[in-house]
Amino acid sequence: MPEIRSKPFRRLFKPNYLMVYATLGIFLLLYLFGAIMYGKIGFTSIRTFLLLFSDNAYIGISAVGMTMVLITGGIDLSVGAVASLTGMIIAYGTTVMGLHPLLCFAFALLVGVGLGLLMGACVQYLNVPPFITTLTGMFLARGVTSLISRESISIKHPMIDALAGIKFYLKWPNAAGEWVKIKPVASIDLNTIVFLLMIIIGAIILQKTRFGRNVYAIGGSVQSATLMGLPVARTKVLVYGFNGLCSVLAGIAYVLYVKSGWNLALSGAELDVISSCVIGGVMLSGGVGYMWGTLLGVLLKATIPAIITFNGTMNSWWAKIFTGVLLLLFIIIQRAVVASSSRTARKAETAS
Amino acid sequence: MSGVILEMKGIDMAFPGVQALDGVDFSLRAGEVHALLGENGAGKSTLIKCLTGVHRMDAGTIFLEGKKILPNSPQEAQHLGISTVYQEINLCPNLTVAENIFIGRQPMRRGQIDWKTINRRSQELMRLMGVDIDVTLPLTTFSIAVQQMASIARAVDINARVLILDEPTSSLDEHEVARLFEVMRDLKARGLGIVFITHFLNQVYQIADRITVLRNGRLVGEYMADEINKLELVTHMIGKDMNVIYDLKKAPQEEGAPVVLEASNLGIPGKVEEISLHVKKGELLGFAGLLGSGRTETAEMLFGVVKPSKGSVSMNGEKLVASSPLDSIRRKMAFCPEDRKRDGIVAELSVRENIGLAVQALRGFMHPMKPQEQQKLADRFIRLLSIQTPDAEKKVGELSGGNQQKVILARWMATQPDLLILDEPTRGIDVGAKAEIQRLMLEMCIGGMGIIFISSELDEIIRCANRIIVMRDLEKAAELDGEDCQQADILAIIANEETEEAMAE
Repeated sequence: MPEIRSKPFRRLFKPNYLMVYATLGIFLLLYLFGAIMYGKIGFTSIRTFLLLFSDNAYIGISAVGMTMVLITGGIDLSVGAVASLTGMIIAYGTTVMGLHPLLCFAFALLVGVGLGLLMGACVQYLNVPPFITTLTGMFLARGVTSLISRESISIKHPMIDALAGIKFYLKWPNAAGEWVKIKPVASIDLNTIVFLLMIIIGAIILQKTRFGRNVYAIGGSVQSATLMGLPVARTKVLVYGFNGLCSVLAGIAYVLYVKSGWNLALSGAELDVISSCVIGGVMLSGGVGYMWGTLLGVLLKATIPAIITFNGTMNSWWAKIFTGVLLLLFIIIQRAVVASSSRTARKAETAS
Repeated sequence: MSGVILEMKGIDMAFPGVQALDGVDFSLRAGEVHALLGENGAGKSTLIKCLTGVHRMDAGTIFLEGKKILPNSPQEAQHLGISTVYQEINLCPNLTVAENIFIGRQPMRRGQIDWKTINRRSQELMRLMGVDIDVTLPLTTFSIAVQQMASIARAVDINARVLILDEPTSSLDEHEVARLFEVMRDLKARGLGIVFITHFLNQVYQIADRITVLRNGRLVGEYMADEINKLELVTHMIGKDMNVIYDLKKAPQEEGAPVVLEASNLGIPGKVEEISLHVKKGELLGFAGLLGSGRTETAEMLFGVVKPSKGSVSMNGEKLVASSPLDSIRRKMAFCPEDRKRDGIVAELSVRENIGLAVQALRGFMHPMKPQEQQKLADRFIRLLSIQTPDAEKKVGELSGGNQQKVILARWMATQPDLLILDEPTRGIDVGAKAEIQRLMLEMCIGGMGIIFISSELDEIIRCANRIIVMRDLEKAAELDGEDCQQADILAIIANEETEEAMAE
């Protein structure tokens, strides 16, 4: 029998963590690059940093649910469409039908979570591959959105304005000891708070609850999870339901961000969400991923357009190109980690 | 011995076309290791699956400690105290050892998973099994043996009263098996009833107290391990007298039969040293030697799977130039590779399609076989080789190992080769099927085919081969006459060099 004892730092260097470290490392490098190149024109300001959060909160909120889906070994292509549908429900409900936003929120939640659970049930009980199931869900949600309205509807409701207006300004004491807003003005908005809250909730679910651990087990091996007596069916369905919830929250965040509903809004956003997760170290083959990694993935992916904006001369399409390069890099890193961990596994075996 | 803990009575179970279990009784006592034996398809797995709720039995009753039970799922069986450790590791590779032991029933503290307790208790449990490892590392860090111990730790910790070990030793080495047996004895002493399923009879005698033998879905009998000898046991398992099965005659050799295959100075540096050999029409050439001695590599060079860097191969006097399998097939050579699951069968295709594959490859895809033609071919070989399948449309993956092997044999026989290379054709199949494969080989030889037969089991080589090449350390160590060759001779050659030199003199 091999006796593999842990060195104190060994646990920190688990291959699964390596991916998150890689994300962190590349994020820091990129941020450092930005700081050196554009530090003088405000890249390093707290304002810019916080904008990374508030401009991408809807992607991040959706990525929380997506992370869970990906860890089970599934995928959900419907998130952008469901978020868009949410926006349309809110816009049409408040502006055209004159309903209270809370009622619209509740209805959107019902629709989003319901669709999620339905897709989860299709994947689990009808054995339809997640890709096809959620592709169907995507067309369905997108279609219903267009059915409601093909015009962009801007939202005018005091409550939406109020929610979008919630801002906590960062302050510091000036020479006279009074608390004043820092310059340049930086604030944390509601979307950022919800985003970070969802990351924390997601992390707690994944690490501290049986449900979360079952998510990992299913991603590791569905067959084993079943034979170990874990509630595979329930877990899978609930994961898609939770992702539906996240899509709706992302839709609400997007509404607060742009204050309108449009049937083509957020098309392709599901790919932004998935790529954020992958850049954050979540494996598409399932079983591996962390909420903190996803948080870093969202930030890293958001830093690229920020740098391009600061550059000012580059075409914004460069952001896509760099994102593509980054994604490729991370997929290669993942392959390398998988290969090296299976190599150590083989070594351990021959040593025994 | 203490009382009966588990009692199964009159278990019936039928699958479409097969009566898998027919009135089987089985009883297990607390504190005993009870071996469940039988050939492939005897019904061992089906019986276990009825017990663990994977299958729903058609008739019969199960009593656990006197109470009637009817588990509907593995979970339910586990709750009742019946745990199973399968042959393949059924744990999650991405989780830590500790988590694998506790997942699904983690201790909670203030509404959160109590990782500290999980890690501490897992460490203790593994230590009890004599495995001192860091349980917070992922499962895949460790050897199969450790993973197996972790599954047992998991199974036993669920307050198990009955532990089923389904071929737990098949991927363990000698030391690991010894360690497993220690653990089993320890569990036995704690009053667990252990059902032990295995193909290794030696291990049965090492550890089992009682033995139940099944054959063709029926109970043959229950025996005390120290009251039955191995020969009797095997006779019960296969239901025929061993001597009848082993009464095989070598293919008679004609004087001056033409040489079918000739290879001279074939080699790849570092893989196989220069090797020369020939096979005559109707001759069975045995290839003995340890795994990794160069047997498979030689076969692959002959068939053209790998290109030899020197030497030449000729079939029926014509030199093979291309060194490609297709070229070899055209020159009437055929090759059944070692790992039939990986390289041989196409599990998802039907028996009919699998049998037709090589003939189709030979014709090229421009000339597809008609379904009727395939059907006729398949039917003929199913009859000829007595392949046990309900019909030619069954997926090959659903057949037993022995029958899969026959399908591969049929595939190559259909191309009517002059030379057939069989790499470990009898591995992992049961005694009866082995004997049948051997009989088929010999019949093909009598029909004029030349065969190269590679096997790790010396007795079957000695039984069948007209001539034997012994491989050692990537080269041909000796060539022996198959007629009066003893197992000890071959072993001596494999074992050391001096003997070989002595024999050469």
